[in-house]
Amino acid sequence: MEFALNADQQLLMSTFDALLARHQAPPHDQGYVAYSADLQRELRDGGFLDVAAQPDFGLLGAALLVEAAAACPVGVEAAASMMIGPLVGEPTGPIALAWKLGDPVRYLAEAGALCLFEGDDVLVGAMTDEGRTPLDSVAAYPLARLCAAPSAARRYTGDEAVAIRRRALIGIAAEAAGLMRGALEHTVQYVKDRRQFGQPLGHFQAIQHRLAEDAQIVQACKLLAFKAAYEDSDREAAVAALYAQETMRKIIYDCHQFAGAMGLTLEFPLHLWTYRLKYLQGEAGGRVAQSRLLAKTVWETDRNSVAA
Amino acid sequence: MEFGWSDEQDGLRARLKAFLQANLPDDWETIASQSPGSAAVTDFSRQFCPKLAKEGLLVSHWPPEHGGAGASPWDHFIVGECLWEAGEPRGPQYYNVNWIGPTIMAYGTEEQKAVHLDRMRQGDVIWCQGFSEPSGGSDLAAIRTKAERTDGGYVVNGSKIWTSYARLAEFCFLVAKTGPARREVSVFLLPMDRPGITVRPIASVVGDGDLHEVFFDDVEVLETERLGAESKGWDVIRYALNYERVGIPRYALALRTLSRAVEALRCEGNFGPEAEMAAASALASCEAARILVYQTVDQRIRNHPDTGSASLARVAVVRAERQVADFVLDWTPRLFTSDDAPMVATHHKRAIAAGIASGAAEIQLNLVARDVLGLGV
Repeated sequence: MEFALNADQQLLMSTFDALLARHQAPPHDQGYVAYSADLQRELRDGGFLDVAAQPDFGLLGAALLVEAAAACPVGVEAAASMMIGPLVGEPTGPIALAWKLGDPVRYLAEAGALCLFEGDDVLVGAMTDEGRTPLDSVAAYPLARLCAAPSAARRYTGDEAVAIRRRALIGIAAEAAGLMRGALEHTVQYVKDRRQFGQPLGHFQAIQHRLAEDAQIVQACKLLAFKAAYEDSDREAAVAALYAQETMRKIIYDCHQFAGAMGLTLEFPLHLWTYRLKYLQGEAGGRVAQSRLLAKTVWETDRNSVAA
Repeated sequence: MEFGWSDEQDGLRARLKAFLQANLPDDWETIASQSPGSAAVTDFSRQFCPKLAKEGLLVSHWPPEHGGAGASPWDHFIVGECLWEAGEPRGPQYYNVNWIGPTIMAYGTEEQKAVHLDRMRQGDVIWCQGFSEPSGGSDLAAIRTKAERTDGGYVVNGSKIWTSYARLAEFCFLVAKTGPARREVSVFLLPMDRPGITVRPIASVVGDGDLHEVFFDDVEVLETERLGAESKGWDVIRYALNYERVGIPRYALALRTLSRAVEALRCEGNFGPEAEMAAASALASCEAARILVYQTVDQRIRNHPDTGSASLARVAVVRAERQVADFVLDWTPRLFTSDDAPMVATHHKRAIAAGIASGAAEIQLNLVARDVLGLGV
């Protein structure tokens, strides 16, 4: 048990932070959607998408990068590529995760590969323009509708499918943790700068206490995601994803409340974090599915038998 | 960064489990369902702690010169986690080994160390903590109990309140004013049988023996009973509180309680989707609390200055305790009166104090706002 980064991890993060530094300022022409094809390419060219395969870093190294990338206002598909990529071979672009045929899917239009979760199985195949229709997004993720499963897909079953699902949850947890951190840091700065009633908003205890609760949530989300990546276990993955999907609603609400009407504008970048979080809230079945998985893992519940 | 346990640490957990199995009586859960300060638990601790000491697990984290084994603070933390999960058979003595002993090591004279640490490591001495007063609870610097200089030492007048374990304690870790300014306080290691001390129990929902008033009427205190320099007691208190704040791994008993409640629901065939969601959510909160507590332990081990991590951990612990307590109230309130699950009632009684004991949760939020977020004045 050691919470400080070791020398290798420090080097990894300083290299990655240097890359992200060029993307930390929200673009002037930002719209509803946070996505940077440039950063996506730089991640691949820099070899960062393969970090989990490197013995010095493993899945924890990937989680560190996913969290850091998500805290950046410019969006990029990192979680699925870094977490699931090593399990399904080398895709030619971002990996999209579809939980149901016909649903809107994040990064589907940009994807080189698709994982379609079908019951206990996962279909994995290369993604082409056939089978996807770009959508106007109400999230800050680019969304497209999945109309048909890839024609040449490989079906993963049993433990292999379980592992892909587990990695998806760890990715969601790490990404959510970074998004929450980005939103919270932006909001904390805002309440330091914005003055009302002759003082910064951040001097009011009503605001301080809520942001302090949020700081606890964000830190716990981050550490639970890192622990889940380190252990790569179903229990820890469900804990991390459930905790994130349950607590993110408070972070989203608080950050928007304290930003006031500024948070409703596109020029204020808060939505680049919070409107990604909103979409993650229900991803992979949301907290209902994660609760069931956790209960099943910890207490071996089979609801059908209980009902009988 | 890594989240694994060493083989030795896994071995320690296994050793503790075996030790508890061998040394906790069949009716231990019924004994533990009384409060930690009750006569029953206190008496039990006087039998249990010497055995724990003989096993080398009571003060293993203390340095060898004070009778410990210089074990890693993680080892000591694992001991505390296992014992709290078991219902804390050390009773009030966790105070001694967690923070009173280490504070005496840091600030005590050679004589104080010899007298007090020796008793603590034998496992049969009970201490209480004389901090809170009617005028100073969360605002500890507002206390009024005074220690005024006399020829041979001091005379103490005033009163303390909410003092756990006071009725059965042999010594009090007492904070008193020794000057007019705020924080101009000193700490005294005071025998509780000194003339002029009156202890009055306060009946409470947390159980017998946990809350008392303590009155000091012209109590004579020796110069040699002062811990640290005169009027520099604030530093001593901060040092002690830093140890105390995450001293109790409350999530451990909360998790055990949660599992017990789920087991009851499953046996009845009533663990449906709503209960499943509530239980999973409470479990995730306990794990959130655990990882933040671990982070604080890790920072302490590396001598990092506390930049609010202990407060973050306490906020999470309080939230987790409440969630588990609410789960039991919602789904299995009958377990509070069930003979086969006394630990559930134990948790119910103790959980209410989680956000109050050792500093109100709202004070922790103030500290997080200030120290973690840089907000406020």
